[in-house]
Amino acid sequence: MSDKLKQIIDKQGAQQADTGLDQSDDIVQLVGFIIGEEEYAVPILAIQEIIKPFSWTRVPQVPPYVLGVFNLRGAVIPLIDLRAKFGLQSKKQSDETRFIVMRHGEDVAGFVIDRLTMAIRIKKENIGAAPDTMNSEDSMIDGVGKQEDKIITLLKVNKLLERDF
Amino acid sequence: MDEFQEILQDFLVESFELVEKLDEDLVELESNPEDLELLNGIFRVAHTVKGASSFLNFDVLTHLTHHMEDVLNKARHGDLILTPDIMDVVLESIDLMKELLNVIRDTSADAGVDVAACVARLDKVSGGTGEVETPAAVEAAPEPVVEKAPAAEAEEEELDYDSMDPDEIEAEIERLLNQRQDEDKAKRAAKIAAGESVPDMPVTPSEEPEPEPKIETAPPPPPPPPPPPAPKPVTPKPVTPKVEEPKAAAPAKRASATVEQTIRVDVKRLDHLMNLIGELVLAKNRLIKINDDVEERYEGEEFLEELNQVVSIVSLVTTDLQIAVMKTRMLPIGKVFNKFPRMIRDLSRELSKDIELVISGEDTELDKSIVEEIGDPLVHIIRNSCDHGVETPAIRTAAGKDAKGTIDLKAYNEGNQIVIQIDDDGKGLDTDMLKNKSLEKGIITEKEADNMSDKEAFGLIFKPGFSTAAAVTSVSGRGVGMDVVKTNIEKLNGMIDIESTLGSGTSIKLKIPLTLAIIQALLVGVQEEYYAIPLASVLETVRISTDEIYTVEGKSVMRLRDEVLSLVHIGDIFEVERILDGSEHAYVVVLGLGTSKIGLIVDTLVGQEEIVIKSLGDYLKGIEGIAGATIRGDGGVTLIVDVVALMQMAKNVKATALIESSSSGSAASNEKSKASDYTVMIVDDSKTDRTIMRKALEPMGITLVEANDGQEALNVLKSGDYNFDAMLIDIEMPRMDGYTLAGEIKKYNKYKNLPLIAVTSRTGKSDRMRGVESGMVEYITKPYSADYLASVVQRNVNFKSEFL
Repeated sequence: MSDKLKQIIDKQGAQQADTGLDQSDDIVQLVGFIIGEEEYAVPILAIQEIIKPFSWTRVPQVPPYVLGVFNLRGAVIPLIDLRAKFGLQSKKQSDETRFIVMRHGEDVAGFVIDRLTMAIRIKKENIGAAPDTMNSEDSMIDGVGKQEDKIITLLKVNKLLERDF
Repeated sequence: MDEFQEILQDFLVESFELVEKLDEDLVELESNPEDLELLNGIFRVAHTVKGASSFLNFDVLTHLTHHMEDVLNKARHGDLILTPDIMDVVLESIDLMKELLNVIRDTSADAGVDVAACVARLDKVSGGTGEVETPAAVEAAPEPVVEKAPAAEAEEEELDYDSMDPDEIEAEIERLLNQRQDEDKAKRAAKIAAGESVPDMPVTPSEEPEPEPKIETAPPPPPPPPPPPAPKPVTPKPVTPKVEEPKAAAPAKRASATVEQTIRVDVKRLDHLMNLIGELVLAKNRLIKINDDVEERYEGEEFLEELNQVVSIVSLVTTDLQIAVMKTRMLPIGKVFNKFPRMIRDLSRELSKDIELVISGEDTELDKSIVEEIGDPLVHIIRNSCDHGVETPAIRTAAGKDAKGTIDLKAYNEGNQIVIQIDDDGKGLDTDMLKNKSLEKGIITEKEADNMSDKEAFGLIFKPGFSTAAAVTSVSGRGVGMDVVKTNIEKLNGMIDIESTLGSGTSIKLKIPLTLAIIQALLVGVQEEYYAIPLASVLETVRISTDEIYTVEGKSVMRLRDEVLSLVHIGDIFEVERILDGSEHAYVVVLGLGTSKIGLIVDTLVGQEEIVIKSLGDYLKGIEGIAGATIRGDGGVTLIVDVVALMQMAKNVKATALIESSSSGSAASNEKSKASDYTVMIVDDSKTDRTIMRKALEPMGITLVEANDGQEALNVLKSGDYNFDAMLIDIEMPRMDGYTLAGEIKKYNKYKNLPLIAVTSRTGKSDRMRGVESGMVEYITKPYSADYLASVVQRNVNFKSEFL
């Protein structure tokens, strides 16, 4: 974990130096991660913690993407597999698999992701609206962040945490 | 404004407490109209509320309580005998007072409740002086009340001596005298306390020689029966001090006692404390588990004893702490019982029946949240007892019973539960009538009716839409009520038990757990999953052989003593994938809720444990059959079964496929038509070793499956994709070694006869011994020849020679 963290912090530092972004209001801080082939991101403030996978308990009568519940220091928290939620084949957990625990108001849940990428600072003006085809109230996509070499899909944390079954 | 709100809060809390007590006192007073102590108490309530409400400018309330006070004051002085009719008026006024208090609580103002009619009646009772018109007129327009009501009050108190009738003047004189006397008493008491000797001196010339010193030291003598109504204005003097005595002495004593002993605490704080204790209990469970593990590993070490001691002390203190905190949340059930004497009184007048309520065990304590929930169900049950249970006096006398019916309401502890029992000596439940009624309403079928035991028939009264009352009365019989009782009690994890003898009465027992936050649970296992079942709902557990399970109309049932119990497999309810079924025995947990029973088939019984109930959160709430979750000693999450929902779900589950699946495994593996029907698993962490084995066995033409380590092997086995005929197992492997793997496999009945062959470089005798102990049938040491390996495998899978 600490290695990974260090790596992320280093990258972040490098990124900051590169772009010369400072902490002004029009900067959004995100955490990027990979699910399948795509890179996604959520606001850093919505993330409560990022942990290594551990065992969970299956819960009956829920959609397949709800893996179950796990114990986070005494609190019982639902665990959601984002691969399954996004309609991808489920994959065996690897060393890079992480649980991202996100919070929105009172709602908390853990999400299984394939791999963390980095903390991202991005200017608001570089975030575009989601494509019209998927830009609706129900969409989980908040927008698209443009970076030099790639684009990142920004997810709505409140939608992710919303029960939809 | 904040200060006002604070005072208002205090006022409301105090008033509600007073009023609660009031109901009970008043009913008791009716049967005991001479009890001055009671009268004084009631008078004080009216007085206190009046005082406080006038201070807070709640004029309607002041107006009402003032008139109540008048009536009660008269009664207190014996000028008025409290007949049932007068009591009706007084009780009505108290209801209004409650209503007003509720309005004040909700709106911080006392407008909107019409008290005029009641005040008029009160006035009539207290002497009918006809001064009723003023307040009645005032009531039409709420605004002027502020102006006029106090004026009216002032008039009565200050000016109208001339227009008062003799009784009122007398009361006023008494009041002033008492006031004066109290002051003097207080002064004298202060002096005595200061060590001065005070000569006994009459305060007023007309008073008798005073028994003052006695009052200070000893409890006051019981007050004499009140004098006959309306003595002459001057003569009541000898009476007054005696009436006053208890009043003067009692409050002083009580004040010093209560202030020291209780403290008001916000419920939120207690809840938080309870949560913390919950965490502690979890940590304790965990500590005990670790202690057990350590004990196993370092058997005989000296430090173990010390560790043991610490663990047991922590566990003991935690349990005590939990009980202590639980107790802080406990309230006597009397808080709920208090409202019933009044209810019974009203009901018996309404139904023209003579019913006596006998309450016992009102000191029994229950968790606050339960006390709040239990009120409504009890109201329904008691109403029912009054309406349907107890007969009219005429019928009772004809049946040779006492004309007065009795309802016994009692509460007591029984183990970890509280039992609330409601007995009546009425006509009892008629099972035939219950069945007919249910048939008529289509609640049950004829067949069900025929097979119904008496207990089950009694249970019919809890069915929604059921009502046995021939005529719908305002009291009950509207078809709602008893099913609400059942739902509410089940919500509290409680059980209902009915016993009834036709003609002589019905007894309803509610069994409720002491607390809701931490419960005793039975942990059961199905496949690799565990579930916790609240122990309060578990009647018993039995171990049965699978051929004791019969299938009737697509449902599994078993015979339990002389009952037929329907069965459901926990795996069918919770969608557990059942791969390794097929044991000849099953455990059945018999669940009872209210009057219904069901048998839940589980794979294993883990044991009883104290668990802390945690919510699954918003995201997962409302999952059918799951009441919540708890965290076990090993840090894992275990789901808690919602027995109520489970019973509902069980109705829609078809018979378990238990029997078929047990035989299918062996049947398939026996039929071999070609060499590739034989399947062997190779478990080794070394790629080279696996390849060597593969090369040795491939010539036979059998199917080979490889696994990296014990864990993977177990998963492959459980996935059920293959029917293995033998396994070749390396001993030294990461994650799970060969011995452990063998042990795990042998836990499953289905694999009892699966040959496990150890292939290892460990050659020690003890290694071989361990291999045999863990269930291995052969022990091949590396290096080996390919032929030897092949022959061992052939021998163990009963390889048919024609395939060679």
